[in-house]
Amino acid sequence: MGIVIAVISGKGGVGKTTATANVGLGIALNNKKCIVVDFDIGQRNLDMILGLENRVVIDMAQVMDGEAKLKQAVIKSKVSENLYFLAASQTKDKSVLDSDKIKALIDALKEEYEYVILDAPAGIESGYEHTIEFADKAIVVVNPEVSSIRDADRAIGILDSKSQKVKNGEEVKKYLIINRISAEMVQKGEMLRSEDILDILNIELLGKVPEDKGVVDASNQGRPVVLNKKSMAGQAYARISGRMCGQNIEMKDVENASSSVFKKLAGIFK
Amino acid sequence: MKNRQYSVKVLETVIDDEDKFIEFFNTHYMLFKDHLIVINGEISTNIQNYLEEKELKFLNNITLPTGRSRKALEEEFNIGKKNIVEENEYLELKKKLKEIEFENGVNTQVAQSELKKANSEIEKLSKKLDNGFTVMDTMIRSGRELKIEGDLLLLNRVNSGATIQTSGNLIVTQVVEGALRCNGNFMMITVSPKANIVFHGVVVDNSLLENKLNRIELKNREIYITPVIKKEINWA
Repeated sequence: MGIVIAVISGKGGVGKTTATANVGLGIALNNKKCIVVDFDIGQRNLDMILGLENRVVIDMAQVMDGEAKLKQAVIKSKVSENLYFLAASQTKDKSVLDSDKIKALIDALKEEYEYVILDAPAGIESGYEHTIEFADKAIVVVNPEVSSIRDADRAIGILDSKSQKVKNGEEVKKYLIINRISAEMVQKGEMLRSEDILDILNIELLGKVPEDKGVVDASNQGRPVVLNKKSMAGQAYARISGRMCGQNIEMKDVENASSSVFKKLAGIFK
Repeated sequence: MKNRQYSVKVLETVIDDEDKFIEFFNTHYMLFKDHLIVINGEISTNIQNYLEEKELKFLNNITLPTGRSRKALEEEFNIGKKNIVEENEYLELKKKLKEIEFENGVNTQVAQSELKKANSEIEKLSKKLDNGFTVMDTMIRSGRELKIEGDLLLLNRVNSGATIQTSGNLIVTQVVEGALRCNGNFMMITVSPKANIVFHGVVVDNSLLENKLNRIELKNREIYITPVIKKEINWA
């Protein structure tokens, strides 16, 4: 039986879909069979970031309605043979989602794959609630800014009250990814510190991803940044995926990683 | 009537051998000179003279009251009985609730509303049993609206976007970033520059909450803010 991980954020634009693609691919690169599912009905993006947009023929809605078999809808990634993708419907809206159908779909996916990663839509309405309904774990993606933190807090609150696991008296384990950390701004004191964010959200830190211009380029090309071993963000996602696979990888201090030798020298004379 | 209450130390003893008793008091005089001595059994004149000479206060043949727990006292003063009645009522309601759930495997609207009614009554009763005092140690996350009848002691944070309303007193021991609405006699709040606090319909100025723990009180229609635990001064 595989585990179901929902990637949530509350606020939009914090890098939820990018994180889903990278963590999914990272896990697949660790030789685990992994499927990423886009739950953002009507606004699917994950196919583009994974570079699979021209391969989508059958979407999730058609599978749930019984128009097609699950096997026909699942797309195998070009980059890793362990990574699979199930697309959201681009034409339908959120009303296609229905608890019983989702449960059937997720149960079927759990049989087949070790990791089932769900990309939640932004916001906290029905689409979001359906995504978290059957999740075993959740990855919360935030940016170090107050609006993102508050929205994530709200999303966690809803997760803690509406997910099926919580209703059964169990706990949904939550992990935090702090995305787009700018070392320069943190050192100047212009950005929220990770300690403060952890104080507010009170969940386990999974990793910190530094701001990296390569991420956008990688997404545009459909090759997630985790494939780029030189990129700081790519390395961060590789560490995060390793941790999700149960490896014990030390937390790297992204905030104080100065880029130039000169800055390090200046630091000595402070 | 003028009352005074004392807590005294008592030495309770039975005299078998007079010489031994006197010897004991000679050696331990310093230890027991301020105790009340309770002697069970007969006191001979010899002993009485000795005790008077040493100016020791003593009583003879007294059964001492033993300390009782609050629960025992409550039972004695019938408070307990009342609670038991309520508890029975509570259990009965719970039973009723279960029956309703059992009968209506299909969720009809009537059952739903009945269920809600029973649930809210159970909640009210269980609160009554707790004397209207709630202690919580959960994080109040954004979007949560907490309405408390009575007093609340919260041992965790209140995050931005959350709201707490109490009809009684409110104590929060960690940082508040959300909104508080309190109508009790007092509030106790830590330094909380981002909080939105309304006390009896009046907005409290956050900059006044500068101490480690602040008490906000309403006296003669005026709001007073006094420090409970002062700001730590860093000498370094």
